Amino acid sequence: MKLPAAPPPGPFRRSFWRSPIRGPWLTSVFGLVLLASIPVMFVTGLLSYAAYNPDLGSVNDLTPGKGLLGFYLFSWPTHPVWLYRLNQGVHVTLGLALVSILLFKLWSVLPKLFEWPPLRSPAHALERLSLFLLVGGAVFEFVTGILNIQTWYKFPGSFYPLHFYGAWVFMAGFVVHVALKLPTMIRALRSRSLIRELRTNLARTRPERPEAGDLVSTAPAEPTISRRGVLAFAGAGSALIALLSVGQSLGGPLRRTALLAPHGQDASGGPDDFQINQTAASARIRAAESGAAWRLTLGSDNQVSSAPVVLRRADLLRMDQHTANLPIACVEGWSTDDQAWTGVRLRDLARLAGVPRPSSVLVQSLERGGAFRQAVLSHGQIMDPDSLLALRVNGMDLSSDHGYPARVIVPASPGVHNTKWVASLIFRR
Amino acid sequence: MRRLLRWYGASPLHLLTMLGCFALAGYAAAELLPDNAVGIVVWFTGAVIGHDLILMPLYSVADRSAMAVFRHRLPSRPAVPWINYLRVPAALSGMLLLIWFPLILRLPARFPATTTLSLDPYLWHWLAVTGTLFLLSAGALAVRLRTCRSGKRKGRGPRCSPHRADRSAETGEL
Repeated sequence: MKLPAAPPPGPFRRSFWRSPIRGPWLTSVFGLVLLASIPVMFVTGLLSYAAYNPDLGSVNDLTPGKGLLGFYLFSWPTHPVWLYRLNQGVHVTLGLALVSILLFKLWSVLPKLFEWPPLRSPAHALERLSLFLLVGGAVFEFVTGILNIQTWYKFPGSFYPLHFYGAWVFMAGFVVHVALKLPTMIRALRSRSLIRELRTNLARTRPERPEAGDLVSTAPAEPTISRRGVLAFAGAGSALIALLSVGQSLGGPLRRTALLAPHGQDASGGPDDFQINQTAASARIRAAESGAAWRLTLGSDNQVSSAPVVLRRADLLRMDQHTANLPIACVEGWSTDDQAWTGVRLRDLARLAGVPRPSSVLVQSLERGGAFRQAVLSHGQIMDPDSLLALRVNGMDLSSDHGYPARVIVPASPGVHNTKWVASLIFRR
Repeated sequence: MRRLLRWYGASPLHLLTMLGCFALAGYAAAELLPDNAVGIVVWFTGAVIGHDLILMPLYSVADRSAMAVFRHRLPSRPAVPWINYLRVPAALSGMLLLIWFPLILRLPARFPATTTLSLDPYLWHWLAVTGTLFLLSAGALAVRLRTCRSGKRKGRGPRCSPHRADRSAETGEL
């Protein structure tokens, strides 16, 4: 079948698109913002992935088939203590703010979806397929991330593999798009002066020349908004979204400014009332097992030479107590201010278990289900003097929702790896 | 070779870049797809057309309708680009809804039980932010009209040129 050379009436004709400001310059400005921001999103995403220490074993590894995509993994550090808090605050807040830019960018290139002929050559077909990865991947990443932070798990699978592998598909499309379009972008940005555009009001706004590219309308309508107006429009969208959500990552009195963010509400008040993502009731922790009958089991992977040590809470309270001021930072981007955690150092417990230089530790919770009922911590995380099995916080016993009778707190570690309601610690040599 | 490249339609470097792209995407997709291939392909396709074929027609029709309604109802329209004072607050409010509709519509049923936070405030917060945006916009329009009128009396009025778009056919686009 041979397609007619002239496009059929409708969106396939350039004259169908009448915006007088759409053109390579405007698209390139949005493109430049995304070119600077998407790598930040990708790097913070990869760092967050590394923060789970997936190499430490299947317990931590939610993407066992990652293969070469985990090439960069390294042992996640414990300092600075706000590292994960900053990383996730940036990843989530920047991602939210970019929704506005992404929408304007998609609007600005709309006619490209209706190119005629749809496929000119094999090269053109491959390019359009790579755009499927780019646009599909971008929107897929934004949607899965945005739904996940609202704990509305309607995506087709588990969040971690979807968001991780989806990011690589997106980046494949992104890199090739940048490689192909960078010269076009630079040429378009040079074609008009940004300063002059920012001084051009609506009355003096004119379309770009039709020769400047396919995006320029051949039948432009009278402008209703200037180019600087559209840039301010998109920027205002980003700024508004960011201002209404960044408070959940800043914490303190600014938390209440996050009017539209999952953790913008203060908890009800009191010294241990800081944000959580899992209550004792929702984790189905029974009072009988977390009360007086609770025992902590300290073991080693070499059970032949040393029998497990079993401790009551009172035994732990008699050991050397240490206090560390550490935040809780969630992968979802919200975090708390530093809280004063008091408890026993993990390295002291390792010595008690007969493994003074452990390579790792398996922490298990009383929780019965869920991917995060257990976690493996690295040698560096165990040996940090601020890594605790915390018994108290801010001068009082942990509340049941914060992990009573005992929880792990490790500096700069993702929230879900600070296991609550700890039942056992198995140290590995 | 030259004939092959002419058939392909671009340089060998283009082909290499493309092959690299699909090799990486394929490697990741091989892990992404197996659990729920149909669901993921549907989501990716939906993500591609979500803006262009669903969202864009909706906001274009809304923009065009607003222009048409006010043009018919208000024969003497203000001589400023009044449509922007409507479309900016509406679009910003719409973006917030697009991002936060699960919380605003109270969809994550387990959220209160897992976080001890209430799902109630989000709808009210969104309505309050929306109201504030429209109020600010109305205030800005009032200021603009005022400076415009006083400017005209003094014989200056470059910022108050008649809204050229009011005379042309509406596009439903920026």
